[in-house]
Amino acid sequence: MTNRERFIRTLKCESIGGQVPTFELVFFLTMEKFGKVHPSHRYYGQWNQMSQAERKLHMDEMAQLYVDTARAYGHSAIFVHPNPGGLENTQWLLELIREKSGDEYYLMAHGDPTWAIPDGDGMTEFSMRMYEKPEKLNEESARRVEEALEFARKLDERGHLLDGFTLCSDYCFNVNPFFSPEAFDQFIAPYLKESIAEYRKMGYYTIKHTDGNIMPIVKQMADCGPDAIHSLDPQGGVSIPEVRRIIGNDIALAGNVNCGLLQTGTDEECRADVLRSLREGMAEGRGYIFSTSNCAYTGLPLERYEMMMDIWRKYGNYDNDKRNFI
Amino acid sequence: MDILKEISENLQKGKAKIVKELVGQAIEQGIPAGEILEKGLMSGMDVVGEKFKNNQVYVPEVLVAARAMNMGAALLKPLLSEGENVSAGKVCIGTVKGDLHDIGKNLVKMMMEGKGLEVVDLGTDVSPEDYINTAKEQNCQIICCSALLTTTMPVMGEVVKLAEREGIRDKVKIMVGGAPVTEAFCKEIGADKYTPDAASAADAAVEFCRAAG
Repeated sequence: MTNRERFIRTLKCESIGGQVPTFELVFFLTMEKFGKVHPSHRYYGQWNQMSQAERKLHMDEMAQLYVDTARAYGHSAIFVHPNPGGLENTQWLLELIREKSGDEYYLMAHGDPTWAIPDGDGMTEFSMRMYEKPEKLNEESARRVEEALEFARKLDERGHLLDGFTLCSDYCFNVNPFFSPEAFDQFIAPYLKESIAEYRKMGYYTIKHTDGNIMPIVKQMADCGPDAIHSLDPQGGVSIPEVRRIIGNDIALAGNVNCGLLQTGTDEECRADVLRSLREGMAEGRGYIFSTSNCAYTGLPLERYEMMMDIWRKYGNYDNDKRNFI
Repeated sequence: MDILKEISENLQKGKAKIVKELVGQAIEQGIPAGEILEKGLMSGMDVVGEKFKNNQVYVPEVLVAARAMNMGAALLKPLLSEGENVSAGKVCIGTVKGDLHDIGKNLVKMMMEGKGLEVVDLGTDVSPEDYINTAKEQNCQIICCSALLTTTMPVMGEVVKLAEREGIRDKVKIMVGGAPVTEAFCKEIGADKYTPDAASAADAAVEFCRAAG
């Protein structure tokens, strides 16, 4: 099986044996690892001024960096962050990655039309709209869904090089969700459910990501039908066994390695956390994707990420004797 | 129903326009502005804060209640006597240098204002020098530092050290919070208080100010 096939079978919660699939939403540490600026850190203000040959060199180099990252760490999936964005550049980047790696990797991109926690400046205004103009807010939600689906349709028509969308609107703080369960039902769930269902009709898989304490709304998120839920943030008190108890075993789970601890903890604390994550994630023998509880973010010590991946290589294998975890 | 109770209950529901109207009526009835503030508006925000701490209401409910409070308080401000106008204490708050996240910081600010504290908002990407200079210049009893990133958390320790070097450490309490911040980290850097949520932060700040007299 290719990495892509293993990833897809994991999203379907099928048993795959062997190494647990892994990926990161973003691996920002490309300068330290490869001596290259991460695509999301580049500023292409003069993109349209460049000759096509120059643009191609940039795009090709970014595509290679995505592939190199996946190869270096044994990732099964690549999350593309096209820069510059837009349909044409997304398609171009996907074509280049497929040219370089064939069907080896599952390719995903952003595609969440649902509302995230607003920023500090806009939060009060957004809350007022929830209370005073709920119909208008929902009309806007419907428009956002349609725009996201239109983008997906166009990529589908151009060869369907993308395997799935990752829906990254954050809903939760560490303590609680921004949206109460009732508000989630009113403002998020209908649009999340529709997006996921329509993506699925087009043949795309979906991973729903959010940081923070998802527990009060995790069942509602699961009921919207994503193939996987990502982040499972231990800083928000999320535990894999508890999520499994609530949503069952037929939605894949991804993440849960405490990325804050990777920065601030001791080697021993990090090692224990990575092993805990693997043990709990692999407990069902299927439906688990190993990753940090957010991403390999700027400022994270590279050696810590590499330590985490060394532990995954050694212990993140379904065929291993489980006593290794003791 | 007692008009002050009505103000409190409508504030809890985030009914800003009604709260404003009721505050106006209470003023016309000759109820002292300080009493309207304390028994109407702040009493309502106290209930919202408690419910928030107990996970009975969520952030949007707190925000609409805070907006209602601000609209009512705006009518009262010119009427409050000098004695009544004294805030429960003064706080300067900001997200630490290198960190541009402001959601948590804004929530804490709102909850503190709901408790009658005067809050100087330094915004995001705030240097240790800016915290300390503001605290000195504006006589703040509390410095509140927020961080969302593990990479920016260490700046909180720099704030504590600079407060010591500048000789104001015994005059200000330093509170810390944010997603990656923990009680252990608070102790490690020598800050005074970590709180896990905005309502607890506001309660703690009021306690510090009361203790300081």
